[in-house]
This record gives sequence, structure tokens and C-alpha cells, in this order.
Amino acid sequence: MGPRAEPSRPAAVEVSAMSDDDETAKADGGTASQSETVEDERYEEHPLEWDEPDNNDKAPDERDSVSHRTEKYDDRKLVTGQAKYTADYEARYPDLAYAAVVRSEIPHGRVTDIDTSAAEAMDGVDAVLTPESDAVPDTKYTSAGQSYPEPSPWDMRVLNEHVRYIGDPIAAVAAEDRSTATAAVEAIEVSYEEDDYVTDPEDAFDEDAPQLFEDGEVENEIVGHDYDRNRMAHIGGELGDVDAALDGDTHVHETEWETIRQSHANVEKHTSLAYTDEDDRHVLITSTQVPNHTRRQLAHLFDIPIRDIRVTKPRVGGGFGGKQAMVVEPIPLALSLATDRPVLYEASREEEFYAMRSRHPMKVRARTAVTDDGDIEAIDLYALSNTGAYGSHGMTVAGNVGSKPMPLYSKVPNARFEADIVHTNTPQTGAMRGYGAPQGTLALEGHLDEVARDLDLDPIEFRRRHHMEVGDLDEIAGMMGGEGANRRIRSCGLDECIERGKDAIGYDDLEQPDDDHLHRGVGMALSAQGTGVAGDELGAAQIMMNEDGSFHLQVGGVDIGTGADTAFLQIAAEVLGCDEDDIIVKSSDTDVTPFDYGAYASSTTYISGMAVKKAAEDAKERILDWGSKLLDEPVEALETGGGTVYSETSGDSVTLEEIGYEAAYGDEEREHILGKGTHCTEESPPPFAAQFADVTVDETTGEFEVHKLVVAVDCGVAINPGMAEGQIEGANHMSYEMAVSEGITLDDEGRAEVADFDEYGLPSATETPPIESILVETHEPTGPFGAKSVAEVPTNTVPPALSNAIRDAVGVRIREMPITAEKIEAKLDEREARLGDL
Amino acid sequence: MEIELEINGVEQTVEASKSDSLLDVLRRNGYTGAKRGCDTGACGFCTVHVDGEPVKSCVEPVTKVRDASVETIEGLGEQDDLHPVQQAFVDNTALQCGFCIPGMIMRATALLETNPDPTEQEVREALSDNLCRCTGYKKIVEAVLDAAERMDGGTVAADGGKAFEGNERVANSTECAVNDCDCMEGGQ
Ligand code: FES
Ligand code: FES
Repeated sequence: MGPRAEPSRPAAVEVSAMSDDDETAKADGGTASQSETVEDERYEEHPLEWDEPDNNDKAPDERDSVSHRTEKYDDRKLVTGQAKYTADYEARYPDLAYAAVVRSEIPHGRVTDIDTSAAEAMDGVDAVLTPESDAVPDTKYTSAGQSYPEPSPWDMRVLNEHVRYIGDPIAAVAAEDRSTATAAVEAIEVSYEEDDYVTDPEDAFDEDAPQLFEDGEVENEIVGHDYDRNRMAHIGGELGDVDAALDGDTHVHETEWETIRQSHANVEKHTSLAYTDEDDRHVLITSTQVPNHTRRQLAHLFDIPIRDIRVTKPRVGGGFGGKQAMVVEPIPLALSLATDRPVLYEASREEEFYAMRSRHPMKVRARTAVTDDGDIEAIDLYALSNTGAYGSHGMTVAGNVGSKPMPLYSKVPNARFEADIVHTNTPQTGAMRGYGAPQGTLALEGHLDEVARDLDLDPIEFRRRHHMEVGDLDEIAGMMGGEGANRRIRSCGLDECIERGKDAIGYDDLEQPDDDHLHRGVGMALSAQGTGVAGDELGAAQIMMNEDGSFHLQVGGVDIGTGADTAFLQIAAEVLGCDEDDIIVKSSDTDVTPFDYGAYASSTTYISGMAVKKAAEDAKERILDWGSKLLDEPVEALETGGGTVYSETSGDSVTLEEIGYEAAYGDEEREHILGKGTHCTEESPPPFAAQFADVTVDETTGEFEVHKLVVAVDCGVAINPGMAEGQIEGANHMSYEMAVSEGITLDDEGRAEVADFDEYGLPSATETPPIESILVETHEPTGPFGAKSVAEVPTNTVPPALSNAIRDAVGVRIREMPITAEKIEAKLDEREARLGDL
Repeated sequence: MEIELEINGVEQTVEASKSDSLLDVLRRNGYTGAKRGCDTGACGFCTVHVDGEPVKSCVEPVTKVRDASVETIEGLGEQDDLHPVQQAFVDNTALQCGFCIPGMIMRATALLETNPDPTEQEVREALSDNLCRCTGYKKIVEAVLDAAERMDGGTVAADGGKAFEGNERVANSTECAVNDCDCMEGGQ
């Protein structure tokens, strides 16, 4: 099995204290579900207690900045149209050239000739690059914006002779303006030698299938690869003995689930502007989630020292994982090197749907063994993931199908997960919000609902008997090695999430419609995510104090529209005891801001935010030292607050401005007050969600109406409750889309059938059901001021909750997303026919 | 060719080619608040007002707006003096990445011009041509309703609260999590 699969699991060490409300945990403020933990040798490695600094755990009324609905730092420039996204830099570069790309029109084959003569002869065309051109690197790489060395295969080139999907880049053009660039692309004639192709993942996973990668075409190969069968990776892990449990005296259920190819549908298209500055250094202004990874990857591709590349991120119009990748940056850089001009590449909306990235479509099989008493003895998940033409994020996303949802049931003694990740001649996939967890959550939460109904158990109570609690040692997230690790659970608000969700949806007093053919039902689903990649994150920040007592905060963390800059500001202000307005934030410019892995894996507030906290504490130490000099009192007596340093004994105070001037211009001694912080951790505490969906189904047509979605989320302490709710509502909207929209559909050749927003099922304001978000506060001792992540976990839950709601309403089960009236009607007809036969 | 038009109250003569859309011309002349999301009229990010009507500027040929009066997001409010709709978006944490927001706000101001006291459903319908990927629309809809009230169009329901369906949490949602905190008062 997997690289670090444990052979067996030690006998149960947690005695479940089926949490009565009065038996709740102290560790997280008394709101949690908690197990009683028996100490054993593993306790030491993952203790429940956490050496948390005093200042990290503040009661709500002690919080001056965190937990407040502080105005989002960039909102004023956003609502006035003053904020600059990459394309808005156009006017600053009068010499700007525009890029456009020639893409493969066949699903698989070799480019035999590229006739660029007509394009090159056009007025206003500056450069035409093909795979042969000097400026185009022929180095292999992965576009996945992951840490080094990337856990994704190096299987791509910037421009390609061997093309593997309709959309693979072949040639690139730079021209005076957009329309000339597009016309030049149209004038380029490409000849191909066509190969056989395969678009279905099950067909592709066969020795006789057309093969996408030949020997020697992939570097940095991933565990379990078998390119003869188009498999880029195979992963797995097991705790206990799942087969023995399945063969034992239990009820065994097996179900299979299917998810859509969802588009990020980022509102701002992939956009990147490259130029060489007067110091002969290469600058990219780019819409990215990963400036530091992009810098490293460009250095690798172009053989330029890292120091000579500067990646700077302006405002970004959404990422959702689609920009956790170096999708377009090499093209404008190559063109800019070739033309000696700044070059802007802004993908077209059509390219967004067929040539950028999408969520991995998957088939997931769930199996469980459950005793007569309703105890789950074993959970077994298997995923077949379609990674498309290339393998970026293929293995890690598939790993998260198991490692995110399965730990919810960490009390289950036997657990197994396996996945095959296969290539097809279809558009590329990549990271997307939820990162495998939505696919796994659909299978697991849909499956458990089915089992509960089959065994006549209440679906909520059934889950309650098994779900994770404070004190649990989760070994499932770590059972495959790689991403995820064994972890002690120190905060868990699942019980409260369930209770408050039930209340909000009106679970216990649902009224049935008067019409006989209309049936109302409620479905629920639980979810867990992580907070950062366990053991594989790094964030850093620094703070400089100005003489007027204000601060500059420089942080590598990447705000892609989430409000991360504001969260950083609130964390720093909480430590420094100043007003948020007294801090200027500068983030994500690799020349200026400290290193950061980037915005992904729900890590930003937790990792980069903790780095900010440490930097602020470092600066505060110096501030208190100067305060001590000015007040002539010992440091131990001093605290910061209200823009001052004050003495808790004498009540005397000195303003930060006085300290700033004294430190900068003092007579005897002078110092620039600076603080720095860097943060990495082995921890990745899960946030939790309980989702509810209220639906009415018309049994004559299968048509359904979703009245309301409720999702209660435990994200620890919400640093900014308004922003946290916004994340939850947006994630639930995206999750709803996964339940009811077709996503990017493909024709027989793997060509995307969606070219524009009006062909893509992004629910509009009228098509989106009311979404109610509920914040359930717990305290996560490893996070800054008790915070853990929020933005991914509510992405996972609507497909299973809605499938369960429809099952509740009319008794039929939809397992292939999207859920449509036609599918429900077909199932109802099927059932009718079956009953008729009896 | 040259086109004469009024942008945010200022008469201008701009250089344009026949195939240019209004969006092309606006962005080329520094009005980059209107965003290019699709170029086909499918997303609404480029919404501006032409003679008071909301228009998707990416599919509006510039030749059609000769002598027209165009209003863009830049003409609405300043960062330190926001228009009430802008202020309501900020106060309701209604935006995330902000890319859809200039179009959304222009659409919302056009709605409130004609219907100063819209219901939630009317707001949703008015905004249904303007996509948002980040927010799930909830706080955006709340912001528009809040703006209506701020602009004094809102009628006060019998119980003293603003009446609209399915949103009983609106009042709560602008309260701070910290007890007795007034951080949301005074539109800070
Ligand atoms: S850019 Fe105009 S509607 Fe999309
Ligand atoms: S705020 Fe990002 S698309 Fe609306």
C-alpha cells in the first residue's frame, strides 16, 4: 500500500465520552465535543495540551481588534474602482505588447509543421514563438504551484510538439494590440500527425489504451506511476484490517459516486505582465496565489537566478486554486525576452474554460462494515481520478479525497483509502477549493446517510456516535504519508455545529406541502478540512515602526480577494495595541516581502497570520523596552493598548508616537524598531462544518426547489466574523454549483463544450438559494488567537446534503452529480416500475 | 475616428476605432474600474450607465454612445467620501475580490434610481445579470437593501424593522462578535 501505511492500529486508546452537553471540553472554551484520552506512548508525540502563550487565548471582551468586523483593508479602493488588477497596469507601460496563444485543435498527436510566415509578415506583429525558438525553454516542469520539490510530475513544456488535449499550447505571438495578436494566431497554420486518443478515465486505465506519455517523457515521476496504463500515480493507506471487517459479521454497503468537472470560473482571467527592468531583472506583475513558488519555477524553467526574478501580485480577482499554478507566466516572460518589450497575456474567457485548469472529475466508491448495533467497523474509499492531460496536483488532490473527510470518523478502527490517478486527452485539472475533499465528502456523507436509512438509524445520531472529538488522535489523515500527518484534535465544535444547524433549518418541525405530489425533505452532511499542509508550510512577516508610531507590515501571505491583508492587520493591531488604521500592509512582492508558500490549503490566516503575530510580538518587545526607558518603569509592568505603552502599576503611559520619535531621534541611543516573524508547524487542525439542505421535490416531474442552505462552521476564533461569513457563503455557493450544474462538459474528442459564462452553470443571484452561515466559535490553541481555517470546508458539503435531502423527500438516491430533475424523475419511474412488477 | 461624449459629467473627445466597444474606450482612457470579464455581455463586470441606464459596456459599440452621457464607478464616490451604495457594500462586508463589484454597484445604483424601496427578490432579479464568484450574493443583496434604507427610500415595517423575507439574520450580521462593541457603528 502507501509509502508509510501503518501495518495495524493499536487497540483503541480513546474512551468515548458520548458528549453530554455538561461534559464538554475545557481545552477549547467549553463548546467542544470531547473524548477522554488515555495516555500512552503516542501521547507524548501528540499531546493534547499545547504550550500556548498567554496572550493567544483572549476572552471575547478582551479582544480589541480580532473578532471585530473591521472594514476590509482594500474595500474602499475596490468599491471606487481604484484598485488595480494585473490588466489595469496596461497604461503604465506605453511600449506594451499583447500576447496570444496558438492551441492544439486535436486531442492527441505530434505537431509536424508550424507555418508562421503569414503571421510574421503582419504589421504590428513583434514576435512569433514556437517550441523551436531560443526564447522558449524546453525544460520539463509542472504548473502546480507547490513547495519544492513539487509532488507533481514534470510532464509539461511551455510550448509543445507532442500535444495531448484540445487546448495544449503550441505557439505564442506578441503584437502591438490585442486584435493584431488574435489575427496573427489565426494566421498560423499547424500541421499534425494525429494519434489515437482516449477521453474516458476507465478506458484510459487499460493496457491497450492509447498512451499519453512515452518512456522518458516525464521527470520527477510520482509514486505508483504506470504510464503504460496512463496512470500518473497510485496511492493508498490502511489502518487496522479493513478486509477482515468487511468479511466479518457486519452489514456491508457499497455505493459509487461521481463528481463534475467544475471550473474555477475566476472572474479575473489568468493575466500576467512581464518585463525586464533597468537593472536587467525580470519582473512579473501577475494574478497568482503563489508568488514565491512562481519565482522559483520560472528560475528553473528559464535558468535565471532566483534573485533576478521579481514576482509581484496586485489585487487578484479570485483564485480558488486555479491560480495555485504557474498557468500562464512563462509565455509573457518568453515573449518579453524575445521582443525586449513588456508583454501582457490575458487569457480569453474561452481559454479559461478549455485551456486553464478545472476540478478533477472523479468516481469514488465507498464501502462500510456496520454492526447490528450500528457501530461502524470499517470505512473503505477508492477513487478513480481523471487528471486530464497533465498531472499537476493529481496525486495530492486524490490523497485528500481520503485524508480530509475520513478523519471525521477517526473512531472507526479500520480504515482504508486507495486512489488511481489517470491521464486522458482532456483539459488540464489542478488545485481547486476543497482539493479532493468535495469528491470524498460526497461519497462518504452520501454513503453514511444511505447506510443509516437502510439500517433504520437516524442519520444524524448515526454520525454523532462516530464523529471526531477533542482529544482524539487522528491517524487517518497521516495514513498515506505525504500530505497530512497524525494529529491530536484540540478543538472541535461539531456537536454545536449540528445543533445550531438543525435549529436554523427547522429540522424537527418541517412542514409538508399540502399538495400530495410535493414532498419536502432535509439532508445533512458533515465535513472536515485541514488548516495548511501539515509539516509543509512556511510564512514570514516583518514590521517596521515609523517615528509617528505607525507601522509598515510586510508579509509574504497572499490576499487573492479573501481579506487576508485585513486579517494580518487585525492580528498585528491586537498585539501592538494600536488602531488598525496605523498599520500599512504590503504583501506578496518577492523583492520586498518575506518568503511565503502562498495562498492555498487554507493556510493563510493560520500560517502567515501566525508569522505576523510573531513579528508584531518581536516589535512589541522593542517598543516595551523603549517604553520602559521613557516611563522609567520595569518592562514587566508595561503593556500596549490604545496606541500607547502604559504601566499596569502606576497607570502612567507614553504614546507610540513618542516612542517612535525617541527611538528614531533620541539623544543618546537610537534604534529602528523592527520585528520579524517566521512560522512553520507540523500541525494542521481541522475546521468542521455541518451542512443542512431543505428541499421540496415534485414527484411527478422530479423538479425540486432548494428552500434554504444552512451551514454551521467551526473555524476556531474568526479573526473577522464578517469576512469569515463571506467565505462560508461563497464556498457554499460554489458547493451548490457542484451539486446542480453540469460543469465543463466535453465532446467525444475531449473538447470543452463551454466557452463562456452563459454556457456555464454559475448560479446567479436569483438561482442561488438563501444561504445561512453560522459561526461556531472554538479555540484552537495552535492558531493565531485561536483561529483555524474557514474557506474550504463549506465547499465540500452541498452535494451530499442535497442528495440526502432528496432521498429524504422522495426516497430516491442520486449519486452522479449534478442532481437534475431528469435524474430524479428517472429514478422515480424506475421505482414505480419495480413496485409495479411486484 | 473621434467620438464626443460625456464621462462622469465631463465632456470629452476620445480617439476610437469603429470596432471598439465602449469598454475598450473607457479602459484605454483610464476608466479601468469597469472590468473585462467576458467581452460578450455574459458577466456584467463592465456595467456602466449610459444616459442613466445600466449597460454592459463590452457589447456597446462606441459608435452608439456618441454624445451620450456615461457614468462609471469612478464618478460615484471617493475613497474618503463614498456614495451610500458603496458605503453599504463596505459596511456589510459584501465584497471579497472586488472584481465584480464596480459592475454590481453600478447595477445597484440604477435599480435604486428607479425603485428606491426594492424587495429582496427585486434586488436579486436586478442583479441576476451580474455574476459573482466569491460571495454567494448574500451580503451583496443585504448591502443593496441596506443602501436603500440609508438613501431613505426604505419603508419602515410595522414592527420598526425593515421588512424582507428569509433574512432574519440581517440585523445580527452587522453586529460585532464582541459584546457591547460599537465597531460597526458610524461606518468606520
Ligand atoms: S465583460 Fe461585459 S458582460 Fe462580461
Ligand atoms: S467579490 Fe469576487 S467576484 Fe464578486
